[in-house]
Amino acid sequence: MDRRIFLKVTAVTGTSATLASCGNPEHAIIRFIPEEEHVPGVAEWKPSLCPLCQAGCGVIVRVMEGDAEVVRNGQAGVMRMGLAKKLEGNPAHPISQGKLCGRGQAAIQIAYHPDRITQPLKRTGPRGQGQFQPVTWDAAIAELVAQLDGLVTSNNQRGLAFLKGGGRGQRDDLVSQFLDRFGAPPAVSFDLFNYDVLRRANLLSFGREQLPTFDLARSGYVVSFGADFLGTWNSPVAQHAGYGQMRQGRRGVRGAFVQVEPRMSQTGANADEWVPARPGTEGVLALGLAHVLLSARLRPADAAGRAGALIDGWNAGLTGYTPADVEKQTGVAAARIERMARALVEQPPGVAMIGGAPLAQTNGLFAALAVNALNALLGNVGQPGGVSFMPQIPATVTPRRSSPPERRTLQAVTAAILAADPSPVQVLLVDSTNPVFASPSGWRTREALLKVPFIASFGSFIDETSVLSDLILPDHAFLESWVEGRPESGAAVPVATLAPPALRPLHQTRATPDVLLQVASRLNKPLDFPWQTFDEMLMAAFATLPAPSADTDAWTAAQQQGGWWGAADAAGQTRPGGPAAQAEPAGRTTQAGGTNQGGRPDAAPVRALEAQFDGEPAAYPFHFLPYASHAFLDGSLAHLPWLQELPDAMTTAMWSSWAEINPQTASKLGIAEGDVLEITSTQGSLRTPALLSPGIAPDVIAMPVGQGHETFTRYASGRGQNPIKILASAAEPETGALAWAATRVRVTRIGPPNGDLILFAGEMREHPHEHEHER
Amino acid sequence: MAHRWGMAVDLDRCTGCEACVTACRAENNIPTVGPDQAAAGRAMHWIRVERYWEGDFPDARLTFRPVLCQQCDAAPCEPVCPTYASHHTEEGLNAQVYNRCIGTRYCANACPYNVRFFNFFNPQWDRPLQLQLNPDVSVREVGVMEKCTFCVQRINAAEIQATADEKPQKDGDLKTACAQSCPATALVFGDLNDPESAVSRLSRSPRGSQLLGDLGTQPKITYLARQSQT
Amino acid sequence: MSDADRRLTDDLLRPLLTTSARFWVLVAFLGAIVATGLGTWVYQMYWGFGLTGVRWPIFWAFYVTNFVFWIGISHAGTLISAILRLVNARWRRPVTRCAEAITVFALMIGAMFPIIHLGRPWLFFWLIPYPNQRGIWPNFRSPLVWDFFAITAYLTGSVLFLFLPMIPDLALVRDRTTGWRHRCYGVVSLGWRGTTKQWNRLETAMEIMAIAILPVAVSVHTIVSFDFSMAPVPGWHSTIFGPYFVAGAIFSGIAALIIAMALLRTFLHLEEYLHPVHFQNLGKLLLMMSLLWAYFVFAERLTVWYGNETAEMAVFRATQSGAFAPLYWTMVVCNFVIPFPILALKKTRTIAGCVVASSCVLVGMWLERFLIIVPSLGHKYLPYSWGTYRPRPVEIIITISTFAAMSLLYVLFAKLVPIISVWELKVGAHPAHAAESVEARDDEQALFVARTEP
Ligand SMILES: Nc1nc2c(c(=O)[nH]1)N[C@H]1C(S)=C(S)[C@@H](COP(=O)(O)OP(=O)(O)OC[C@H]3O[C@@H](n4cnc5c(=O)[nH]c(N)nc54)[C@H](O)[C@@H]3O)O[C@H]1N2
Ligand SMILES: Nc1nc2c(c(=O)[nH]1)N[C@H]1C(S)=C(S)[C@@H](COP(=O)(O)OP(=O)(O)OC[C@H]3O[C@@H](n4cnc5c(=O)[nH]c(N)nc54)[C@H](O)[C@@H]3O)O[C@H]1N2
Ligand code: SF4
Ligand code: SF4
Ligand code: SF4
Ligand code: SF4
Ligand code: SF4
Repeated sequence: MDRRIFLKVTAVTGTSATLASCGNPEHAIIRFIPEEEHVPGVAEWKPSLCPLCQAGCGVIVRVMEGDAEVVRNGQAGVMRMGLAKKLEGNPAHPISQGKLCGRGQAAIQIAYHPDRITQPLKRTGPRGQGQFQPVTWDAAIAELVAQLDGLVTSNNQRGLAFLKGGGRGQRDDLVSQFLDRFGAPPAVSFDLFNYDVLRRANLLSFGREQLPTFDLARSGYVVSFGADFLGTWNSPVAQHAGYGQMRQGRRGVRGAFVQVEPRMSQTGANADEWVPARPGTEGVLALGLAHVLLSARLRPADAAGRAGALIDGWNAGLTGYTPADVEKQTGVAAARIERMARALVEQPPGVAMIGGAPLAQTNGLFAALAVNALNALLGNVGQPGGVSFMPQIPATVTPRRSSPPERRTLQAVTAAILAADPSPVQVLLVDSTNPVFASPSGWRTREALLKVPFIASFGSFIDETSVLSDLILPDHAFLESWVEGRPESGAAVPVATLAPPALRPLHQTRATPDVLLQVASRLNKPLDFPWQTFDEMLMAAFATLPAPSADTDAWTAAQQQGGWWGAADAAGQTRPGGPAAQAEPAGRTTQAGGTNQGGRPDAAPVRALEAQFDGEPAAYPFHFLPYASHAFLDGSLAHLPWLQELPDAMTTAMWSSWAEINPQTASKLGIAEGDVLEITSTQGSLRTPALLSPGIAPDVIAMPVGQGHETFTRYASGRGQNPIKILASAAEPETGALAWAATRVRVTRIGPPNGDLILFAGEMREHPHEHEHER
Repeated sequence: MAHRWGMAVDLDRCTGCEACVTACRAENNIPTVGPDQAAAGRAMHWIRVERYWEGDFPDARLTFRPVLCQQCDAAPCEPVCPTYASHHTEEGLNAQVYNRCIGTRYCANACPYNVRFFNFFNPQWDRPLQLQLNPDVSVREVGVMEKCTFCVQRINAAEIQATADEKPQKDGDLKTACAQSCPATALVFGDLNDPESAVSRLSRSPRGSQLLGDLGTQPKITYLARQSQT
Repeated sequence: MSDADRRLTDDLLRPLLTTSARFWVLVAFLGAIVATGLGTWVYQMYWGFGLTGVRWPIFWAFYVTNFVFWIGISHAGTLISAILRLVNARWRRPVTRCAEAITVFALMIGAMFPIIHLGRPWLFFWLIPYPNQRGIWPNFRSPLVWDFFAITAYLTGSVLFLFLPMIPDLALVRDRTTGWRHRCYGVVSLGWRGTTKQWNRLETAMEIMAIAILPVAVSVHTIVSFDFSMAPVPGWHSTIFGPYFVAGAIFSGIAALIIAMALLRTFLHLEEYLHPVHFQNLGKLLLMMSLLWAYFVFAERLTVWYGNETAEMAVFRATQSGAFAPLYWTMVVCNFVIPFPILALKKTRTIAGCVVASSCVLVGMWLERFLIIVPSLGHKYLPYSWGTYRPRPVEIIITISTFAAMSLLYVLFAKLVPIISVWELKVGAHPAHAAESVEARDDEQALFVARTEP
């Protein structure tokens, strides 16, 4: 076993920290032929795409010449090559507008991560032990091909399953075509913090199965129901840009904003008003606001159109949603509801948004529909300062299926695997998702995967899911491969981000789309794709786009500027809210943005549903609120040291996980800052330090998602706790999306601080002493 | 006309997203020290986003305030330095010459803003993370003090470029890493000697004030107060 | 010469001429501790300063505490003996040399710490103004550079001040020894013959030194205090620091001297020469300094509290009622509550009483230095950046070893030089009746007697 593998494998078992830090590897004497295109000391900026979240920000990479230790066909040596030095937002890109979020800044560490998988690996030890041996690409691909041919011969094409993240774009098109041609069921996409509920609601209300885009720059009064739009939700960078303008970008006008959430998020910290409404009652509050507008005749009831008609009792004026009734349910004072409702029309344009926890309730869809109706009532849909839907690019090389694609949730698939013997899934391919870490223990994902005879994964790192695989075909880092993305939201013009590789591959990795195409062509019964490589596919896709100018075509232009986007509107802006971004009349099918199929143009009105919570209030007195960590999102970024050492915006914690608890509650339970707590749900329990925060309701315990990895590089392994493990499997019935905010817990103090909570800041108040007086 | 680099920080735009913090780390080769050293108080953040709580539930409020070296015109960190490692440049920057620093840490005590950070051990980059290091910024060895330089490497590059192109720099062309990344444009960097520059105009805002200005440190950073609805 | 004088000479030279096994055991023991300390320092240099407990934002702690403490102790000798010489207090005679020796050794130890606490100690010489081809000089505005000048000046002065009155005694030893020792003492006694000319020169030189050393001594600790008061740190930036530090220095200096004398008295059997009256008088001095110290602390705290400035008050609370309160009140007890009654009452101002009081004062004054440095740095203007400090083993070991170093140097010194100035005692009456004979004889005559000795 050669040294690199040894390092990596021990890294998996988490013992290599010392090994890896013990100085330089042996000095390589061989110098490979250097790249010629670089001038010493001169930086070159190349476009690329931030792969870390759904926003799809366009980036530019600073590339400079440097010496890298590499292995080329078995020979270790040094190569003078282009190296990535810094990421910035692509100024030309309509979404990032030259800016980036902190995660985007850290994305560069993915390329140079010490625990990256450097070459194909084949499992040697028992599953999950993380013992692998390197194999050649030919051998690796041959093995996968053999497995697939096996399915064909046994005429069990449906025995192939593909598990992927929530991405969109040509790469995902390629995957679905691969499965389609092979005769396998469509890919199962898993993403803990997915947007299924919101997309469904928008489909029902506005006929757009798509994330909304907000023109904050021109908004007057924003009410956000749990949407962490300045942190991780939807299109954070674009929303930041709009937010800055909303606050101080207009002479004499300062947009106001109210955040409705039981635990103050970083977004909520910026609100003028923080409204800790009871979890699961956000929809009711939204209708309460609508009721005020209707009853005071501030807006005509029919303004809401179909979005309103979807709400039961809308046309009757939402009787039963009087401020008094709503106060009873939400805990928000009637007077406050009145005031907020009036502000929505008195400080135009008023707009509401909903995301995060409210949609992760069993009544999430209702809440989303209620907010959609409120926006429609306010008449801000597609208007400046309001909510709109980014035009989607029709261009696609995927022949549309006649039948609507069957939607399969991971939960359904694991259930099926566990139910039948032998497993209905014989071969599983996993790409850029880690469900073993990010799904509730109730789904028994790990157990199910262990039942699958053959698993191959494409990830760059060994994580809780890929460690179970028999074969690992490591992908390039995003900077080393062709990247393409079709963002759903964040701009007013259609955007297709595109970039060629910015760097030569550092390791012996291969771009996953290319690997799929190679596999397809080597099968006994090849799936004859029209393209040999992914970039050929991209070229074909971009060929269908209108050329930006006479002297160039979309394909060439896109590679230069980092993507193709529609022309700016009359006002010369690609920002949201322009006339380009009207919501479409109900029912009309849109293209790649997701289709209306499965939607219900003539949907029956939905009734208000009470949120259901797992666990008896008596035994489990607290709502448990996991939230997407700003650093790690769903945990997929916990391996980046820059993000581990980034002080959390609200708590200043580094390298830690913790549970936030209201100080009064804490003193009742005899809990002090840093004390070790045991948090127990019906699903299990975990132990983590307590962090006292005035910004959380007394009946809520909040915990960031992201830490608690068992196997995920030297930086994340064995660090902190994973709240997902104790979540109940409750789901939003309509979409089957996990209701990750619907669990109740109890809390007990286990002991004094154990040093696991590492805070950067010394004090939480600017005048600690004066605060003691307040008390 | 000589430049006088300064910054305006609009607290009404700043959202506490901390993109600036990671951008600075990436640009300036700031090492991560790891959990044990972080727990021992050795984490280095040339720019930090201070957060302060006010009041109690349900009327709790939280405010953010990015704090970096204020590039004081009367910098307490300078006279105390026995080796001139901490000194003032012609352009009014508070410069730090790592080669000259012998690690008395006096400057860090004298700095009222606690924005100076000390290399308690030699920095580590687990290979191949070191490939990302910015060749324009020297890596600091054990025992020396470091802090925000206003991205002096960018300033120098821009000035050299301007001389080469024989045309003056345009306001806004030159951005520090934190300002460039800031998605809310809360950080605005520029030349205070140019009365028309964005930073000059913002610095004249009635919302403007200087952090601990009453200590007489004469910071070149102006904070624009956060406004509120209620 | 008289029997009394001969007996006196024998007694005082005995430690030099006869060496017991106990001596070697003691030296070995102390030497081991010192070696450990030095080893620890090398270890710290090798692995990096991070082995200490120093952290953001508390960048100075134990080492700088030790620096200020030892420089303070150094005020035992020179200042005391210089003053006593100038006011010509006869009871000083057996005391001066023990005191001056303390000064020199304490300075040597204290001066190590500015180097020990450097991040890159191997570059300490950049603190020193020396011609170099880069034409780079130290920053003369930096109090650390002032420290360099102050300490070197003080050290040079103190060494001279210690050495001058030693010359006649070294000559005495020379005459009592043979062989290689004879030759060594011959060299260091600079050919002293006790001629009138030599006596005049010596007396003049000592007068000059006694006058010159006083302002130096005062300035040294004032400048040490500038290390703090020049920085805009809450609790540091105070005009009172100069005199406050000097007073504290003398305070701890006297305490150290009393303890040193008591030890010598028992171990070297000098009961006849170090008489209770000496402790009585030093005890009175210590009492006065204790009152003075209490006054300074009160004055300093009062203005802070009355001024009620936010940042200053944060430090005030931390020390008075916060995390540092236990240490703070221990300091008050050690520096005032215990010493005051002991020293105020004649019947408790015994040798034992003085030793107890002095030991408390040493502890209290070390704590005082610590409490000036750490709480202030931990509570600067922006509460987000507040922090707290815990010492790590390297700091504790090195701190302990400096006390061993002090003892070791002292033991060796007492072995090589009469720790009590023989000729000055001869000049004065026999210490047995020093108390009553204070006015009895006048110095001219005394000197004449001394000079006309064969
Ligand atoms: N941080 C830091 N900066 C420093 C210094 C320091 O100690 N620390 N030292 C300073 C000093 S003293 C000096 S001299 C400078 C040196 O700085 P530079 O002059 O930049 O020296 P190098 O980087 O060694 O060489 C510059 C480039 O010349 C290329 N080169 C090599 N041979 C040839 C050749 O035959 N023809 C051409 N055209 N190019 C060639 C090399 O590939 C290299 O990319 O750096 C200065 N800058
Ligand atoms: N491998 C390699 N070797 C080289 C070169 C190279 O590029 N690569 N470049 C060559 C060239 S061009 C040069 S000029 C030489 C430079 O080689 P050196 O002259 O060694 O230059 P440095 O190593 O930069 O600085 C020497 C030492 O000066 C210390 N120093 C800094 N300030 C002061 C001060 O005020 N006083 C004193 N006494 N010391 C100070 C620094 O900490 C450093 O330890 O190296 C030559 N050798
Ligand atoms: S929001 Fe941040 S993480 Fe998401 S794509 Fe943009 S830069 Fe990347
Ligand atoms: S990047 Fe900008 S908005 Fe984000 S924390 Fe820094 S200054 Fe504030
Ligand atoms: S902020 Fe601190 S480090 Fe920066 S110039 Fe001022 S005193 Fe020096
Ligand atoms: S730590 Fe370095 S920069 Fe700071 S005062 Fe000491 S020598 Fe100067
Ligand atoms: S100006 Fe440059 S060095 Fe200073 S904080 Fe910003 S990015 Fe860091």
